[in-house]
Amino acid sequence: MILMTCPLVFGSLVYADRPDFNDKEAPQTLGDFREIQNALQSHLERTRSATVCLQMGGGSGSAVIISKEGLVLTAAHVTSKVDEEIKVIMEDGREFTGRSLGLNSETDSAMLQIEGAGPFPFVEVDLKDTTRLGDWVFSLGHSGGFDKARGVNVRVGRLVREAETTVQSDCMLIGGDSGGPLFNMEGELIAIHSRVGASREESMHVPIREFQAHWDELKSGKFIGDGGFAQKSKPGTGFLGVATEESEEGGLKVTELWKDGVAEKVGLKVGDRIIEIAGEKATKVLMATTLAELGAGDKLTLKWISGGKSKKETIKLGERP
Amino acid sequence: MRIFIFIFAFLLPLAANSLPSEKRKNGPLIQDALSPVQVSLQESSAVFYNNETSKAFLYGTVVSDDGLIMTKASEIEEVESYYVRVGTKKFRDPIVVARNDVWDVMMIKIVAQGLKPVDFSQAKDLPHGTWVVSNGATERRFRRPRAGIISANKREIPGGSPAVLGVGLKEQDGDLFIDNVTEDSGAALAGLKKGDKLLKVDGSDIRDRDDLITYLKEKSPGDKIKLVLTRGSEELNLEVELMARHKLYGKGATRNDQLSGGEAQQSARRTGFPMVLQHETMLNRNTVGGPVFTLNNQFVGMNIAAVNRVEAFAIPGQELSELLAELRKEP
Repeated sequence: MILMTCPLVFGSLVYADRPDFNDKEAPQTLGDFREIQNALQSHLERTRSATVCLQMGGGSGSAVIISKEGLVLTAAHVTSKVDEEIKVIMEDGREFTGRSLGLNSETDSAMLQIEGAGPFPFVEVDLKDTTRLGDWVFSLGHSGGFDKARGVNVRVGRLVREAETTVQSDCMLIGGDSGGPLFNMEGELIAIHSRVGASREESMHVPIREFQAHWDELKSGKFIGDGGFAQKSKPGTGFLGVATEESEEGGLKVTELWKDGVAEKVGLKVGDRIIEIAGEKATKVLMATTLAELGAGDKLTLKWISGGKSKKETIKLGERP
Repeated sequence: MRIFIFIFAFLLPLAANSLPSEKRKNGPLIQDALSPVQVSLQESSAVFYNNETSKAFLYGTVVSDDGLIMTKASEIEEVESYYVRVGTKKFRDPIVVARNDVWDVMMIKIVAQGLKPVDFSQAKDLPHGTWVVSNGATERRFRRPRAGIISANKREIPGGSPAVLGVGLKEQDGDLFIDNVTEDSGAALAGLKKGDKLLKVDGSDIRDRDDLITYLKEKSPGDKIKLVLTRGSEELNLEVELMARHKLYGKGATRNDQLSGGEAQQSARRTGFPMVLQHETMLNRNTVGGPVFTLNNQFVGMNIAAVNRVEAFAIPGQELSELLAELRKEP
């Protein structure tokens, strides 16, 4: 807690390139407005090109690329699951496939990796947490979904409220902006759009320090917490669609397959012998206890012998009927 | 030093974590700083007041020194009688001189002299992020400025013809049939029925959907068209009054419409414009119609739609200037 807030305060004393308009209580002259405009416009080309639209299951959100290799930050309620395929659309209409990494369901933060050859356009991140209450900021997003003719939607405002895991701005947001980026006037990413308040001028964002606090877990694909921004799969609801019996040769022999079940779809056949479940020697008990912990949509790696050949697949579980 | 930081860090969430409302983007301190631009709003905006309630319900843009004002047609026609204020002066008995439904613009005349019209010659393309200033709420004698930035690409907003028959069409074997009739539409009132075969519109043969749509694009709500149809072996001659698309179909609110305050806040007609500037100034259906200025007091457009909580549309100055020339030619 103390370690995390120290740089916030310290930063204001150390960094000299803070724009002057941030230290005025409000713009006093048109010159102050022009300085804000100049700062904002100098960062728009780069920040717009790195602001992407995410599409999955009929829904649409926004996100921002933070590395040339295609690492993306967004909101947990946009990806909603780990290890899901998500369509990524750039402002110019180019489409890529992305895969969701980890998410924090308590604070609404999530990561995603674009699959495909970079380099991708990306933005700098305010890792030193230098932005403070009252600072001028700008917000980008694919409001209401992707619209090539319109392009990325830009808004300007100030940071109007600060809390540890949420910051609030008076940049207006709407559906489709979720997961999109909030920048300071040095063009650095400071937060990700999460939700709106009752009035048009209350917009909530997840600050970068919240991503930093769980960086490795998010990057390694972990589902954090039981919060309201993403629902963890329910243990026991995962369904493989296979009946087995212990085999004398070791492992589990497939005796029956559920029609159109995920096991059948991945190519398992009656008579095949499952030899490993999630990297461990396959037994009837291990199969039962493993499935009891997994939910629909969770993944399970199986290794089996089919017609004398060894096969290995990671299978996404179906819904238990 | 370390202790100071420690205390400060603890105070932060307790006391200093909220910016007072007067310093926020739409707060009074920002309005004060915009006073050099407010001068232009004060001179070249008109305010329309409902005669019955004396409430301001719409703005207008002054386009001639002798009292021509342009405003949003679909909003002003909602109010039966109104008066106008320009600057601090009140003008009774405005008259409608011309309208254009493609742009949703009404031209109104008041009896006045020596007004300060907006200067169309200054209009130019503005990059994203440029500050623009519009009318916010108003006082009787004072136009309050409200700031926003150009927020997206200048573009056409599709929306089809502003005037509709109120039918669904089906092409079959080279003929055009009525597939469904919208309740309360001009087509329903005229007695069109599903299955009717369309032969002629205003005397011309029409056999496909695109021809009909192209023809309707030239028409305005309230216009009447003559149809020749066959129903079974019977030939029918019907006259149908066209209705405004947004009135007939404008009710289907999305989640983003609800988030934007719905009908109370959003302009009823917010699609179907040949070209718009988009900005993010917080407007509502009652604060459109007025001029948009840059920080240099350059006139760049007229607000035409409060679209949702993040988007406002303005007719660009260049296009508005051409429209004005066209409307002035009309008898």
